[in-house]
Amino acid sequence: MSEMAPIKPLVEVRDLTMHFDIHAGILRRKVGAVKAVDGLSFDIMEGETLGLVGESGCGKSTTGRAILRLYDPTAGSVRIGGVDVASLGSADLRRARPQMQMIFQDPQASLNPRMTVGSIIAEPLREHSDMDRAARDVRVRELMDAVGLNRAFASRYPHEFSGGQRQRIGIARALALNPRFIVCDEPIAALDVSIQAQVVNLLEDLQRDLGLTYLFISHDLSMVRHLANRVAVMYLGKIVELAPRDALYSDPRHPYTEALLSAVPVADPVVEATRQQIILQGDVPSPANPPKGCNFCTRCPKVMPVCHEVSPVFVEHMPGRFAACHLIDEEKDASVLRENKNDNVQQGETQ
Amino acid sequence: MKKIGFLMAATALVAAGSAHAESHEGRATDGHLNIIYWQAPSLLNPYLSGGTKELEASSLVIEPLARYDETGTMVPFLVDEIPTVDNGGVSEDLTTITWTLSEGIKWSDGTPLTAADAVFTWQYCTDPESGCAQLSNYNDVESVEAVDDRTIKITFSVPKPFPYGPFVGAQSPIIQAAQFADCLGAAAPTCTDANFAPIGTGPFVVTDFKANDVASFVANENYRDPMKPAFATLNLKGGGDAASAARSVLETGEFDYAWNLQVEPEILNQMAAAGQGTVVSAFGTSVERMHVNQTDPDPELGDERATVAHPHPFLTDPNVSRALSLAIDREILVEAGYGSSGQPTCNVLPAPAIYASTNNDWCLNYDPDEANRLLDEAGWVMGDDGVRTKDGERLSILYQTSTNSVRQGTQALVKQMWEEIGVETELRNIDGSVFFGGDPSSPDTFQKFFADIEMYTNNFDGTDPERYMGNWACAEIPSPETQWQGSNMQRFCSEEYDALVVEFGQTAALEDRAALAIKMNDMLMNSGSIIPLVHRGGVSAHSNTLEGVLMNEWDSELWNIADWTRAE
Amino acid sequence: MFAFTIRRLLFAIPTLLAISFIIFAILDLAPSDPTGNLPLTISPEVRAQIRSSLGLDEPFPIRYLLWLKQFFINEPLNLIEGWTGWTLGDGERMRVTSWATRSPVVDLIIERMPQTLWVVGMSQVIAIVIAVPIGVISAYKQYSWFDQIGTFVSMVGFSIPTFFTGLVFIVLFSVHLQWFPSIYDTNHVIDSWDSFVFQIKQMIMPTMVLALATAAQLSRYMRASMLDNLQQDYVRTARAKGLTERVVVMIHVLRNSMIPVVTVIALNIPTIFGGAIITEQIFRVNGIGQLLIIGIQGADIPLVQTLTFIFAVLIVLFNLIADVLYGILDPRIRYE
Repeated sequence: MSEMAPIKPLVEVRDLTMHFDIHAGILRRKVGAVKAVDGLSFDIMEGETLGLVGESGCGKSTTGRAILRLYDPTAGSVRIGGVDVASLGSADLRRARPQMQMIFQDPQASLNPRMTVGSIIAEPLREHSDMDRAARDVRVRELMDAVGLNRAFASRYPHEFSGGQRQRIGIARALALNPRFIVCDEPIAALDVSIQAQVVNLLEDLQRDLGLTYLFISHDLSMVRHLANRVAVMYLGKIVELAPRDALYSDPRHPYTEALLSAVPVADPVVEATRQQIILQGDVPSPANPPKGCNFCTRCPKVMPVCHEVSPVFVEHMPGRFAACHLIDEEKDASVLRENKNDNVQQGETQ
Repeated sequence: MKKIGFLMAATALVAAGSAHAESHEGRATDGHLNIIYWQAPSLLNPYLSGGTKELEASSLVIEPLARYDETGTMVPFLVDEIPTVDNGGVSEDLTTITWTLSEGIKWSDGTPLTAADAVFTWQYCTDPESGCAQLSNYNDVESVEAVDDRTIKITFSVPKPFPYGPFVGAQSPIIQAAQFADCLGAAAPTCTDANFAPIGTGPFVVTDFKANDVASFVANENYRDPMKPAFATLNLKGGGDAASAARSVLETGEFDYAWNLQVEPEILNQMAAAGQGTVVSAFGTSVERMHVNQTDPDPELGDERATVAHPHPFLTDPNVSRALSLAIDREILVEAGYGSSGQPTCNVLPAPAIYASTNNDWCLNYDPDEANRLLDEAGWVMGDDGVRTKDGERLSILYQTSTNSVRQGTQALVKQMWEEIGVETELRNIDGSVFFGGDPSSPDTFQKFFADIEMYTNNFDGTDPERYMGNWACAEIPSPETQWQGSNMQRFCSEEYDALVVEFGQTAALEDRAALAIKMNDMLMNSGSIIPLVHRGGVSAHSNTLEGVLMNEWDSELWNIADWTRAE
Repeated sequence: MFAFTIRRLLFAIPTLLAISFIIFAILDLAPSDPTGNLPLTISPEVRAQIRSSLGLDEPFPIRYLLWLKQFFINEPLNLIEGWTGWTLGDGERMRVTSWATRSPVVDLIIERMPQTLWVVGMSQVIAIVIAVPIGVISAYKQYSWFDQIGTFVSMVGFSIPTFFTGLVFIVLFSVHLQWFPSIYDTNHVIDSWDSFVFQIKQMIMPTMVLALATAAQLSRYMRASMLDNLQQDYVRTARAKGLTERVVVMIHVLRNSMIPVVTVIALNIPTIFGGAIITEQIFRVNGIGQLLIIGIQGADIPLVQTLTFIFAVLIVLFNLIADVLYGILDPRIRYE
């Protein structure tokens, strides 16, 4: 499928910043900000799946929500299909909503408990199309078929379904308005392992059939490896590395990516036995008070003096491969530009 | 001084009221009258409820043969003259009294009032199953007969020097035989309609009665004076508290008359300053007093606690009691708690004037030095902690009363005053319904008196103190044998006093009765078993547009409502 | 749900019987005396006679059984007779009779109902009308000046007792401005526009005093519940659907937030019938609350017993109604 992917970016994120103010004291003055997302820039190509991985609290979900304007970003732009959704007025934003949708992590909580499945799926149609009731019912049934739900269940309430079924409802709901771009925010994290594969397969099928573009947010590196074309790794509100899937998994360039990958168990017991896990020391610093210099400098096994002083720049050190690390800068200074033979994914241009 | 001032004001009011009564245009010409009784009447049949509020409300409708006026003098209402020995109405042997109804008096339904109604009233109240609250008015009545339609003859089983119990005063009005015929005895409570709207001879007729809320009245078309009452309609509203009732007359002007304003004097004065209305007061026989326990309330005595078997360790000494009395500044108590509704008194029988003793007025002089001297003399030595002791006994007093902000204020002041003479006081207050409830199983009743001193107010109905002074006979001492019933709370017992009680019952001449009453009062005072504090009056307020109000503590405050008029 | 309701109703019967016994026992044990408030001039012998005429001589179990019979058999029969005009039996039934007024307690309660329902009932309605928008806006704009003021007013409403606000209202609006009467006229009949205006005027102060206190409570519930729901994922879903904020807040959040608030409102309804003891006293509304307090002060046991028992019935009933409502409003809850 990757060969089929066109090279035009559908989503262009530039300097996306999302700070949450901290208020304290009697008058609730602003005393600081949580830098949940701190100056992200990346593209998502039409028809591709970009995996976004990182530890809990690194800002993955915030990124997804900020891209869809579920939060008002503090700074930066998000162009989806050429329109900057980060700066749209509320009426225009509502009109833009149908093309971008989200599948949430907790299928139970993300569905209004007092609405039937039919009305949950139909509600966006009521809001954004001029379908009459009968047409809406037809569309709801189609969508339920598409996600593999028994159409007889349209009048039931969310709590009457299993976790996997609820996630199918969430997907059907997201698909109702024929979106082009879907943010999947850990869509399988809350599901049983046996159900996870079904949902992932459904997402893949839908992508193939409907030509969808996904931002797939997950902390599950194996699942991302299975699903994504490219993978971005986040740490403390910043993307530290972004690369085509195979390149990233086989040749991680950022120490954090290395550490993450080393933690993934391997099915082959022989390999697993020799797997060298890099144990990171210490805790993730608070995003309200990130360290000076590189965000990762407090835990990096390869930390250098410069890391405590200067924040590394997120650069394309190889075509299609981006990273923010002083190690890479050093390599660059040595003018040794290595060709990565394993990289067979075509990359789009970035400015 | 104050009393004289009050009397002058009252006289002025009489003049104003009577002058106006002649000038007003006639019956039902002055519109609507709004009266507020913050404790609302629960029914209008005083025989089924002894409460003051019911007595007063029913006095608008039903009347006795004679009432007491604001000076305590009997005035004929349904009769032409008061029977006496002199005019032949009372027999020489004092066992019968004969009343003659005025001619032409009608019930509000148009039927004539007859002697048979009086006979029925007596039967109604004396039926053993009725639970009549005013039974004591018919004490010793052997029979009531209708000699003819207008002549009522009451025969007593003993000579009655004061034969004006039955059918005199607000406590003993005449009810209509025809209306209450089916309500005798156990059936009394089933007659809700009659109890809520009795037919009467009074100036007003009940049109609507909501228990404990509001009663509506219209002028009685058949009232004996064709020019009265001046008001066409009358509302008697209840609820809330005394302060808000005062406010509704004195500040908002929504009401014309408010009853029983036991409000802190300071607040009442502030309200009166608004200029909408006038505060009026009148004094009857109520005295706030301390009873000094003559028996030992020590809990260790068990069943014999507070019985005559164990005299009090120190309060039986009149000098101790006298010292306690001298150490109380009664003026301050009046100022703080009563204002115009109280005056210091040294008598448990302060009124009517002919019965009031002047022999105890030493107590009006607040004199802690003399009090200290008396205690020193009695052998009470001041201790290091400021409390006197004698033979190892501390001069420590448990002082109880009912729960009521004025009483608690008084308690606190007295405690302070007694501290200055080395008396230690422990205060206690008990909810009124328990304290006065008389439940023999409760240890907190005023009859059990498990304390050294208790304080409350008592009075007597009408003007004759015979029964009241009889309260302190030895036989009236509450004890386990009497199921703790009795009125001699302080357990005062004197053969000489008992003899005077008997003599009182046999003496007819007013002057002799007065001399006896004063003698008995003085005996009680000298025994130190009662410390009178404040002569309490009733306080009401009326709008400045209302004329003819004659505040009366001897009868219903509304006794002369037929004469009330609206000022121009 | 039907089976659940029936089962709960059946369970309520022994509960209520136990409650009635406990109330009766407590009232009987309480050291109070119906003749306690009479003037001291009434002698102990007369008091004893009055007590015996009230039936206080009978032993406790007999009096309790008599009350049960009067309340559960005689009064309902009487009501049926009143409604249908039939004559059942000889019609000479002893009703539950108040000691103070010597009249049937049920009649007294019926007489008091209109003013209590008008004033206390209306205060609940106004409280809801005030509290819901305040709660919604406060939660939606958490920590805004509106929220801060709302919080302050709620705290004031919570912490200042009604006897104080009532007094302030009277001094301000009755004494100084003379806008509203300070005393409620229970005899007032509405038969014209002017009399309707008067009714509104005399209701405003007691109603607002009560509404302020209730609204303070309700708006806090509403705000907390809204805050709870605003942070739920389904709200984000609704926003992601591209719904307008109005729809998101009014349809999705408000409807879910109302579930606990509706329960609180349902549980508040018995207090409407219970009247407002203090506020009724202050404004002389003389409804059920005042009836109860007078009964307690006067040791009018049949009155207090009947009233408190009716409250108990209402509380049990509205607890059940709240549960059933919960089941209807929240599809996740099913009673088997």
